[in-house]
Amino acid sequence: MSYTLSEIHPDDHRGMAQVRNLLEQEGIRRDGNLDYTCGIFNDDWELAATGSCFGNTIRCLAVSGRHRGEGLLNQIVSHLVEVQLARGSAHLFLYTKPDSAQYLSDLGFYEIVRVPGSLVFMENRRGGFDRYCASLSPKPQEGQSTAGVVMNANPFTLGHRHLVERAARENDVVHLFVLSEEAGPIPSAVRRELVEQGVRDLPNVFCHATGPYLISSATFPSYFLKDSDTVIRTQAELDLRIFCQIARRLGIQRRYVGQERSSHVTRLYNEVMCQKLPEAGIQCVEIPRLTRDGAAISASAVRQAIHDGQPERIRDWVPASTYDFFTGPRGASVCAAIQREAEVIHY
Amino acid sequence: MEIQKAAVAGTLESSDAQVTVEPGAGGVQLELSSSVMNQYGRQIRATVLETLERLGVTDAQVTVVDKGALDCTLKARVECAVFRSCGQSAQNIPWGGVVR
Repeated sequence: MSYTLSEIHPDDHRGMAQVRNLLEQEGIRRDGNLDYTCGIFNDDWELAATGSCFGNTIRCLAVSGRHRGEGLLNQIVSHLVEVQLARGSAHLFLYTKPDSAQYLSDLGFYEIVRVPGSLVFMENRRGGFDRYCASLSPKPQEGQSTAGVVMNANPFTLGHRHLVERAARENDVVHLFVLSEEAGPIPSAVRRELVEQGVRDLPNVFCHATGPYLISSATFPSYFLKDSDTVIRTQAELDLRIFCQIARRLGIQRRYVGQERSSHVTRLYNEVMCQKLPEAGIQCVEIPRLTRDGAAISASAVRQAIHDGQPERIRDWVPASTYDFFTGPRGASVCAAIQREAEVIHY
Repeated sequence: MEIQKAAVAGTLESSDAQVTVEPGAGGVQLELSSSVMNQYGRQIRATVLETLERLGVTDAQVTVVDKGALDCTLKARVECAVFRSCGQSAQNIPWGGVVR
């Protein structure tokens, strides 16, 4: 029997239907967001194996039961790695079912974390996640209380500041993780800079980049692109398991989080967090939003004001450093980028 | 030869090896995994490092996922990945020179 490996375009309805059938047959849910799909077809042009990419991840891998043991998975993964390298992504991540993880570990992928009975998350760097954890400081000390905060800070507001201040007051050390993912008009370097300036006077707060490991398009694509609630919950759980690993290394005992009303995906994430973190022995502290004139301060509102061309409206909502940035010369191009966006509110 | 961008050559199929090269952080760093690590690990490592040296690669992060490739295959995959990483794959392959 001879096989043909071929890309399957999103508008190839017949091919895509075959992919969906094969994934379903193998008990895998097709992700809503994929940007490359390929398949191996047999002589009768039946799909024998498939795999897809999204960003720097490889996912939706399946081999038909009738074609096991022929090395088709190896061909699929080889091909997808080449596709990724051609796009310029060398540090790759992969999702698979727990019972397939051993095959992938033979193909140069190493386990980061697993959600039992659901999925295993892997990367193609031996000890990549360990190196990330090792790069974070300060290390835990006996008798110290340590807190963690994860924020997008898009951009940093007084609401974020309120949350960090509270954590800094109640703990000896606060690890503040700022999302590294480039998503939206405000560059991650700017977000990071504004956070650092905004917490400069709090000596026990330490800023870190999340890298690809927390709320990134690798761990949590549905944070950035719409998907169904089941998908959001699964990805949130995976993300939180990674957080628990990091928390264990840094001795983080509690995580502070702002209450969420408007953003659907953040609310679901917080819901899963309040359930999963205590199971791992981490306290989850949910703090009511800081309000101004009866309305909760939110980064979405800040972006909306800039989008509407009224940056002076944000003065009461953000620290001086953030205000100065957006009204100053360096912020002009970022403001223009925000104004070009059709939609600035997080779904 | 200077590694300018990440590049890959080879496959994960049996008797082949997938070689990825990326710009390094000073020196050659080799990450090797092989289905025949116990039997041939040292030999594979030596072949890869020797080939890199012959190509004049002194600063690279190299990942080899070996599936039982012969030495000649390994050499070819390493050479190809290096040439791709410095945009030389289409022209100027130094046959008979550093490629032997």
